[in-house]
Amino acid sequence: MKYALTFDRPLMNSAGSLGFAPPRSSGVDLEQFGAFVTNPVSLKRRTPAGGTRCIAFAGGFLLHTGLPNPGLNAVLKRHAERWARQTLPVWVHVLANHVAELSQMVRLLEGREGVAGLEVGLAADTDPAAAQAFTQAASGELPVIVRLPLERSVELAIAVLESGAAAVSLGPPRGALLDAGGESVSGRLYGPAIFPLALQAVSRLAEAGLPVIAAGGVYSSRDAEAMLVAGALAVQLDSVLWRGWQP
Amino acid sequence: MRRHKGWVKELQIEPSGMVSARIACPPRAVPQPGRYLLASWGEAILATPLFLEASFEDGFLAAPPAPVGWDPGTRLELRGPRGNGFSLPADTRRLVLAALGDTVSRLLPVADAALRQEMAVVLFSDAMLPSLPSAMEASPMTALPDALSWADFLVLDLPLEQVSRLGDRLEITGDAVLPCPGQALVLASMPCAGLAGCGVCALRTRRGWKLACEDGPVFPLQDLLDNP
Repeated sequence: MKYALTFDRPLMNSAGSLGFAPPRSSGVDLEQFGAFVTNPVSLKRRTPAGGTRCIAFAGGFLLHTGLPNPGLNAVLKRHAERWARQTLPVWVHVLANHVAELSQMVRLLEGREGVAGLEVGLAADTDPAAAQAFTQAASGELPVIVRLPLERSVELAIAVLESGAAAVSLGPPRGALLDAGGESVSGRLYGPAIFPLALQAVSRLAEAGLPVIAAGGVYSSRDAEAMLVAGALAVQLDSVLWRGWQP
Repeated sequence: MRRHKGWVKELQIEPSGMVSARIACPPRAVPQPGRYLLASWGEAILATPLFLEASFEDGFLAAPPAPVGWDPGTRLELRGPRGNGFSLPADTRRLVLAALGDTVSRLLPVADAALRQEMAVVLFSDAMLPSLPSAMEASPMTALPDALSWADFLVLDLPLEQVSRLGDRLEITGDAVLPCPGQALVLASMPCAGLAGCGVCALRTRRGWKLACEDGPVFPLQDLLDNP
C-alpha cells in the first residue's frame, strides 16, 4: 500500500451515480461529501446495452446498461476543466478490458489538475492474478482505489492491496432476473436488499485490517453509520441519490 | 432541481383498470404536458416520474399507473418538473394524437389545449378510453396511417421498446417521409432521472444516442423515424 487515504467527510457517491462531474443543480448536497467519483470511463466509447435495462425486484432493482460512456478523450474534453475547478476531490473511475488499455488511460489522467485519484473497476470474473496486474498498471503518481465485485471482495482485497492499491471499494453484486418477456437479464443489483451483504463484506475486510470504502444498499444515515462503525474508511452512496438522499 | 412537498389526495380507477392519482402540490410543481415530476415517498427505492393528465387549482391528476403502495394521504417529496414537454406549433389546425402504449392519459392535456384553440383533434389508440370531449374523435390504431395525410401535426405517446418499430406502425418506411411534423413522448424507465446518465432510458435517434430523461422525454418525431 503506497498511500494512506483520508477523506474530510466520510460520504461520497459511487461511480455511475452522479455523472462525470459534480452536478450543479441536482438537489444533492455535495457539502456532505468528501470526494466525487466519476461515472465509469473506458478508453473507447461504449454504447448502451440493448434489451431490458432495468428490472425491479422486492428490495431493489437490476441494471443492465452496458456502462455507456463517450470514451476517455471525450470525457476529458467535456469535463476536465470542471474537475480542475472543484474544491471536492475528484476520483476518476476507470474501466479497462486489459492492462495495456489501463496503462494508456492512467497516462492520460496523471498530472490532470483536479484529479485526486483513480478508482479501478474490476470485472466480476477477474482472478487474483489479473486483479494484481490491473492494480500495478494503475499505480503511479495517483492513489488508486480498486473497486472489487462485492461477492469476491474478501478473496481479491489482499491481492490488490499488496499490489499498490490505497484501498478497496465495493462494486454492486451481480444477479439475473426475467424481464417482462421472460428473457433472463444479467446485471448489477442495487437497493436496500444489498445492504446486509455489503455490511458483512465491510466487516470482514475491516476486521482483517484492510482499508475499505463501503458501498451497497446504503439508504439511510443509520446504514452509513453502521458501515463506519464496522470499520469503513468512507461510504459510497449509489441509487439512494436518485431517489433523493436525506441524511 | 426544485423541490416541493405534496401528497396523494385521491386514487382513481380508470376505465382501463389502471389507477391514476390526484396529487396536491404547489402550482409551480405541476408539470406541463409531456414533462415529468419526480416523486419519492416513504420507503420507495427509486423516484417515480409523474406525467400530467389534468391540472387543478391545488395540483394535478398524474397519469397512470400510480405506484403500488400509494394511498390517499401518502406524503410525497417532489422534484422538478424536468424534461422537454410538448409544444404545438401555433398554426396547427388538424391535430392527430396517437397512444401506442396502454393508456391515452398523457395525451389528454395536449388534446385539451388543442381543443381550446379550436383545432380539430383525432385520437388513435387501442387502449381502453376514458370519456373524451365530444369534439374529439377516437379511432383504432389501424386507421392511423391513413390519417397522416390529413393532419398538420402529429403527437405520439409510445414506450421505448416501440421506438425501433415506429416507422412500421406509421407505414413510413424506406425513404418515405412523414407527411407532417410531429413530436413523440418516449416512455421509459428513468431510474437516475438525468442525474447520472445511467443509460437505462437511452434511445438511438437521427442525432445519435439520446436519453429520454435528459434530452426528452418528448422528441421531434422525425429524429425517431430516422433512427439508423
